[in-house]
Amino acid sequence: MTVPPVYCATADSAVEAFVRASLKGSRVTVCRSAAELLKAWKGPGLAVIDSVLPDMGGRDLVAVLRGAPRTARSTLVLLGRGPHSPAAAAACFDNGADEYFTLPADPRLFRARLLNLLARGGACAAPQKPAEYAFGALRVSPEARTASIKGAPLRLTALEFDLLMYFLRNQGRVVSRSVLLEQVWRLDCAASARAVDKRIEALRAGLGRSYGAKIRTVFGLGYIFKL
Amino acid sequence: MKSRPKVLVVDDEPDYLRIAARIAAKAGCAVLTAPTALEGVALACAERPDMILLDVGLPDISGFEAARRMRKDPALAAVPIIFFTVRSELDMVTEGLKLGAAGYVLKPFDPDELLRRIKAAVSVP
Repeated sequence: MTVPPVYCATADSAVEAFVRASLKGSRVTVCRSAAELLKAWKGPGLAVIDSVLPDMGGRDLVAVLRGAPRTARSTLVLLGRGPHSPAAAAACFDNGADEYFTLPADPRLFRARLLNLLARGGACAAPQKPAEYAFGALRVSPEARTASIKGAPLRLTALEFDLLMYFLRNQGRVVSRSVLLEQVWRLDCAASARAVDKRIEALRAGLGRSYGAKIRTVFGLGYIFKL
Repeated sequence: MKSRPKVLVVDDEPDYLRIAARIAAKAGCAVLTAPTALEGVALACAERPDMILLDVGLPDISGFEAARRMRKDPALAAVPIIFFTVRSELDMVTEGLKLGAAGYVLKPFDPDELLRRIKAAVSVP
């Protein structure tokens, strides 16, 4: 099987050389920025996106492409920079990436995994989300809306589970109270920020000491969740 | 001695205004802030910042319109503008980047990435 035409967003000549060498025989169109990719590529198809672009983060770009009708059914591959972090990789998948590689990677492995991915569903396959996400001992099933640590189910309210999912999708990012009210509570900023603090405390308690401590308060600003 | 680069942050949400101002200060920049687009345009024209961090969904005019007005001032025509927003629709991102933005950062954001982008825009090593 050959790899179909590929759009590759990277400003790094070493990354470009890696993609071209790995996908030898395929037509690779290189775009030097997110702006160039959005101009050149109308989707659907296959796009390989560097996590570091001059004008946008690759993870943000994947989320944008996955949310847009013209590119939603494309195969999106994200190239991260080392060292490999399972939490960062999981966040990329949750943002809509179909595959994630940490560079430097083996070109043969890259090609083989890409071909497998395409063979399973083609470049226009609908993205399939895993039934369960693992973050060390923490397991979360978005569909079943259940979570466990070392196999022991967590007792979370519906709102606490939504909060946990929001933090997992936005790992390593500062989240303000007003954004949580808007995105999780679906309320405007007129609602009490104190309600957020109380619910975060409950979520921390529900997650237990080791995982609860991963939700850190950023004084005066909000919260950040780091695994 | 070279003065510190000046960064203007425009955001109507106090939390994000504070976070972004703190990160710009960490990048070694002097920080100016404005809670509305029109105040941001006026401050940019008066103070000539070296970089502008601009929210898109502002209460008076959009961040895109504010950027267009700033660009009309010859002194601001080439100033790097980074849009900093929850608006992740493809058309919005495309419009922002077409305006010549130096960056488009989605909220909630990774503080390290924002710091790196601010440093790159004002050329702090």
